Amino acid sequence: MRLRSVFATTTLLGLPVAWLVVFFVVPIAIVALYSFDVYTLFPEKHGFTLAAWRGFFHNSVYLGLFWKSVKMSLIVSVVVVALAYPVAYYLALSGTKRKYVLLLILIAPFLTSYLLRVLAWKVILGNNGVFNSFLVWTGIRSADHPISQLLYSRFAVMLVLAYVWVPFVALPIFVSLDTLDQRLLEAAADLGASRLQAFCRVTLPLSLPGVVAGFLFVFIPTVGEFVTPSLVGGTSGYMYGNQIADLFSTGFPDWETGSVLALFLLCVVAVLTVVFSRFMRAEATA
Amino acid sequence: MDVALSGNGRRVLRIFFVLLVVFLYAPIAILLIFSFNNSPIPAFPLSGFTTEWYRQFASNPDLKGALWTSAIVAAISSAAAVFLGVLAAIALVRRRFAAKSAASALLLAPLVIPYIVFGISLLLFFHAAGIQRSLLTVVIGHTVITLPYTILVLVPRLTQIDVNLEEAAYDLGAGPFRTFGWIVLPLILPAVLSAFLIAFTTSFDEYAVASFVVGTRETFPIYLYSALRFPSRLPQVIAVAVVVMVVSLVVVVGAEIGRRIAERRLGTIPTS
Repeated sequence: MRLRSVFATTTLLGLPVAWLVVFFVVPIAIVALYSFDVYTLFPEKHGFTLAAWRGFFHNSVYLGLFWKSVKMSLIVSVVVVALAYPVAYYLALSGTKRKYVLLLILIAPFLTSYLLRVLAWKVILGNNGVFNSFLVWTGIRSADHPISQLLYSRFAVMLVLAYVWVPFVALPIFVSLDTLDQRLLEAAADLGASRLQAFCRVTLPLSLPGVVAGFLFVFIPTVGEFVTPSLVGGTSGYMYGNQIADLFSTGFPDWETGSVLALFLLCVVAVLTVVFSRFMRAEATA
Repeated sequence: MDVALSGNGRRVLRIFFVLLVVFLYAPIAILLIFSFNNSPIPAFPLSGFTTEWYRQFASNPDLKGALWTSAIVAAISSAAAVFLGVLAAIALVRRRFAAKSAASALLLAPLVIPYIVFGISLLLFFHAAGIQRSLLTVVIGHTVITLPYTILVLVPRLTQIDVNLEEAAYDLGAGPFRTFGWIVLPLILPAVLSAFLIAFTTSFDEYAVASFVVGTRETFPIYLYSALRFPSRLPQVIAVAVVVMVVSLVVVVGAEIGRRIAERRLGTIPTS
């Protein structure tokens, strides 16, 4: 057919694939070359070595930061899924007629500026910020004793990240619950299952792919996060991503070590993505 | 009996939903309130009404310049992303080829890369290639980030369209370009527009990748980030935050409603 000859698959795919190869795959390959000292920031010492990698695995600061970030973003992801699930459940299964309108209300904040939503919390949480001044103004606390750990803390980072991601996570969970065949629930009830039993043995397992997808949607961006911690985290909220950014931007750049840190993060995220997408495909075909 | 929810369960979940929505909108409302507050420090008690901060922002050339720069970057990068996305989506939906799963994995991969990793990758790439950092490098980065979003919006729409319409156009003698322009494009236009919009808002707001590849001319998020370090600029930043948030909320919600209406009118959407 003529269609196939003029708009051949290679013609169609050529440009987008080439774009991603040049501006996505090759740049990552260059990071890999830096991590093995094939490229270096200071040209006098280059040549393939594993020095940067060895240094990384023997450096308790980098690994400690990595685990701290994993822990923080695990907590955030679990909290966010736990908040989003009941809301998605309500929208999908309560029989409300306006579920798409309510869903849009829920998701709309996610579509506004990320930085500006972080800014809002900076204004709220500061020592003399909206929240503390409100407490003083209403006489709940005296002016000399503001709650001082609010801003520039690990708590602030996790609060803001949870705030930012809740609407987005509700989406995949909603989709998995909304597409659930409700006759299965009726069948469960007819066979004598209580609501709790029906939930545990039918609804929850069937919505698991949505939960896992939602979990990954939060975990992947937050584990490498550096913008939110640099704005509201202070020193105790400093994360792995901040370390990477600093290795590339401060007065003492170390691109080789920074490349190792970045590649390590990328590998962890890639493994997680592959494992979970296999899992979800297995769930879908089961 | 309703198996999914008891009467009490429904009430509890409704309250929970309302509380979560309050939590999501309260910070935005607080920004709105303090953008009109007559005090350079955003704190209680409120000290009076003023539009001073809006006037300051309206007469701040750096701020307006940054907004304009971001609009240009977002327009170019999302146009490019939508163009590439349409090509890729047609190939993925309408063609059968051996490496399809590998191709779609590559095309969607930018969705799951941490932005910090992609940012430094581009930085090292442009450094190695000897390309000066500028708005062009930001555009390139944003095109990569937003391409998968456009594909995710376009693919479902393309699968809804009956292939027979295209075949009929060929049988009646239309060439591939005519068929695309007269048959396919009008049918996917709502999806094309919403893909453009998603790409535009993503790029307009993007800080992490841009911070590594931006040149001397600042985009809006870059300007905003550096302005946050100066307390004296905070009130204007709050005012501009309110404007940007309200505009993006209106545009996004309006576009979603428009898309639904348009696709219903164009038909071929299963009315559920």
